Amino acid sequence: MLKIDHLTKTFGEKVAVDDLSLRIAPGEIYGFIGHNGAGKTTTLRSVVGIQQFDAGEIVIDGVSLKADPLACKSRMAYIPDNPDLYDFMTGIKYLHFVADVFGVGAAERQARIRQYADTFELTGDLGQPIAAYSHGMKQKLALVAAWLHEPRLIIMDEPFVGLDPKASHLLKGMMREVCDRGGAIFFSTHVLEVAEKLCDKVAIIKQGRLIRAGTMEEVKGDDSLEEVFLELEAE
Amino acid sequence: MMLKLLVKKQLAEIFRTYLYDAKRNKARSKSSTILYFAFFVLIMVGLLGGVFGMTAMNMSGIISAGFGWLYYALLGLVAIFFGAFGSVFNTYSGLYLAKDNDLLLSLPIPAATIIASRLLGVYLMGLMYSAAVSVPAAVVYFLTAPFTAGALLGALLWIWLISVFVLVLSCVLGYVVARVSLKLKNKSFITVLLSLVFFGAYYFFYFRASNMIGELVTNAALYGGRIKGSAYPLYLFGRAAEGGGLAMLALAVFVLGLAALTWYLLRRSFMNIATASGAVAKTRYRERPARQRSPFAALLGKELGRFTASPGYMLNCGLGLLFAPIAGVLLLIKGRDAAALLASVFGGGTGALAVILTAALCMLAGMNDIATPSVALEGKSLWLVKSLPVDAWTVLRAKLSLQLLLTAAPTAFCALCIVIGVPMTAAETALLLAAVLTFLPFSAAACLFLGLHNVNLSWTNEIYPIKQSVSVFMAVFGTMLYTLAIAVLYFILEPAPLVYLACVAGVNAALAAALIIWLKKRGTAVFRAL
Repeated sequence: MLKIDHLTKTFGEKVAVDDLSLRIAPGEIYGFIGHNGAGKTTTLRSVVGIQQFDAGEIVIDGVSLKADPLACKSRMAYIPDNPDLYDFMTGIKYLHFVADVFGVGAAERQARIRQYADTFELTGDLGQPIAAYSHGMKQKLALVAAWLHEPRLIIMDEPFVGLDPKASHLLKGMMREVCDRGGAIFFSTHVLEVAEKLCDKVAIIKQGRLIRAGTMEEVKGDDSLEEVFLELEAE
Repeated sequence: MMLKLLVKKQLAEIFRTYLYDAKRNKARSKSSTILYFAFFVLIMVGLLGGVFGMTAMNMSGIISAGFGWLYYALLGLVAIFFGAFGSVFNTYSGLYLAKDNDLLLSLPIPAATIIASRLLGVYLMGLMYSAAVSVPAAVVYFLTAPFTAGALLGALLWIWLISVFVLVLSCVLGYVVARVSLKLKNKSFITVLLSLVFFGAYYFFYFRASNMIGELVTNAALYGGRIKGSAYPLYLFGRAAEGGGLAMLALAVFVLGLAALTWYLLRRSFMNIATASGAVAKTRYRERPARQRSPFAALLGKELGRFTASPGYMLNCGLGLLFAPIAGVLLLIKGRDAAALLASVFGGGTGALAVILTAALCMLAGMNDIATPSVALEGKSLWLVKSLPVDAWTVLRAKLSLQLLLTAAPTAFCALCIVIGVPMTAAETALLLAAVLTFLPFSAAACLFLGLHNVNLSWTNEIYPIKQSVSVFMAVFGTMLYTLAIAVLYFILEPAPLVYLACVAGVNAALAAALIIWLKKRGTAVFRAL
């Protein structure tokens, strides 16, 4: 589903991502962990095509991101760490905007908006301007928008930040459903307990370099993910 | 110390593009910064200072007649109106809507320090515009009247007090708008409406004043005596600039007293307004049948939504939408008289009239620079359009199209009024329309071209990309200079009007084509790299 080969991105002198390679197969929830500034967000932004990179190749569902970025983007959805949405729109206008751009038909979008907005108990607030939303509500709206076009691959940067416990629980269920349908999820998190319970595979990044990746068992063995992570960070 | 830090932050934001090269992601060199500031000063001093300097020269007869106070009083009023006109829209958004208000209020910084640093930006803008009138007024005064130290002191005090008074006026209006906004649902349109009422009053006064100036110059003694008798404060206002001791004291006490009162009221109300969420009733969502639009239509709708959601955006970048129809109606009523007047001045047929009207209509259309701040206004939500499956050209085309579509309708209406109301030959009419129609895509493309340079996406107040960026500055004054050049070159070169208008249309079309090609090729790359 997602193939990253030798991805490298520098900002001036600083190497943010250094020769990173990863494979994510259909049906996998893939966690991406690392300390602040390790290169997680830069990697995720490169994958969704909003960050130009210096070297490497990213292939999504068999399509090269460099060769056909629009085809790749139409198969994906992205939720950044801080959902800065269009504050001047109402929630429903924003959802229609995203649905229009992804070419989601009128009947399908209506059904999906109803389904996901109800799931997150957001329906009553869809007529409100986004400027009036709390951080958590914006995050929920971004999630509804991301699920609208039934993407094959969902990229999320710290998706659980700002969500209440119920919404976090619902999101985990929705992530699993995407994978059960043959899709994949690639997300970054600092909550190692969540990663440990939810992810099929996990990758640890340090100073832009991938230091460990594989199934949860391969990465942590008999220890907890937290212990392994702290041990690797200390090295 | 704290104030110094905040003021530094505020100034760094206002003059960011003068000091920082976003393209290279580093500070500008000293020479480049000096060049930027020199260009800014040239525009302010050369263009605005020149226009008001000429006005002051025309009024210098009043000084020679011994009524220097009347001369200063009249130009002082113009300076106050011009200054308030230039800075009034900064106050509301700069003071109450700054995105970092919450952050700064959460820090151990006194609210008064935050207000003071915010007001500095408003004050500088008011000073800039009011000084464009008051400084040339003082210069012309000293060219006409004998120089004395007292008169110099008076003029300096007068210039400063005017800028303080402009700040007071801006604060009062900003406060009223903020109060009204808290209670309103359609606050954008109400704010625009209120502002337009202000504009209307401003222009009514300004045009009446322009007509009165000639009369005043010839009958300075008569009117001077009357004004001094019936409007003594106005006499003191002008007399202070001439160095009258009592007048200087009275003016200083009055203006500084008002400023102190404004400061007191602002300090008392700032926290309430800046942190209020408003008492507007919540809109309950009701599902309605959905309609699928193309990605381009969705992006165009998004741009229109952003434009209509911001009073500052509408007022600063869309004034032509209002002025073009007004000019059209005026031409319908007075077009024949204006044509006769111009024919008597320039002689010959209606060729010169066609050129002047072309330049005027282009200038009105050029008052819309909606596309210029549209890129920077993406701000922190830029990730959205970049992550969606739309190519950069579609995004830019939506920005370009909004300006083009919004400008086309009022310009077409004005052009229609010209066709009906002003006598011209069929060929002149056709070429006027061709020149104006080719100007629209040229100005829209030029605005977007400028908007793609020096993009600042990390603003804390939308007034910076809308009003204070170098790109907007260049779009506004560049268009003004270009359209002025259309008229001025005609009178310098004296070509055949039809040939000249055809050339203007040709140049417009060529520039539009070149800019659109740039936008498609280089502009999209610039946008992708943001």
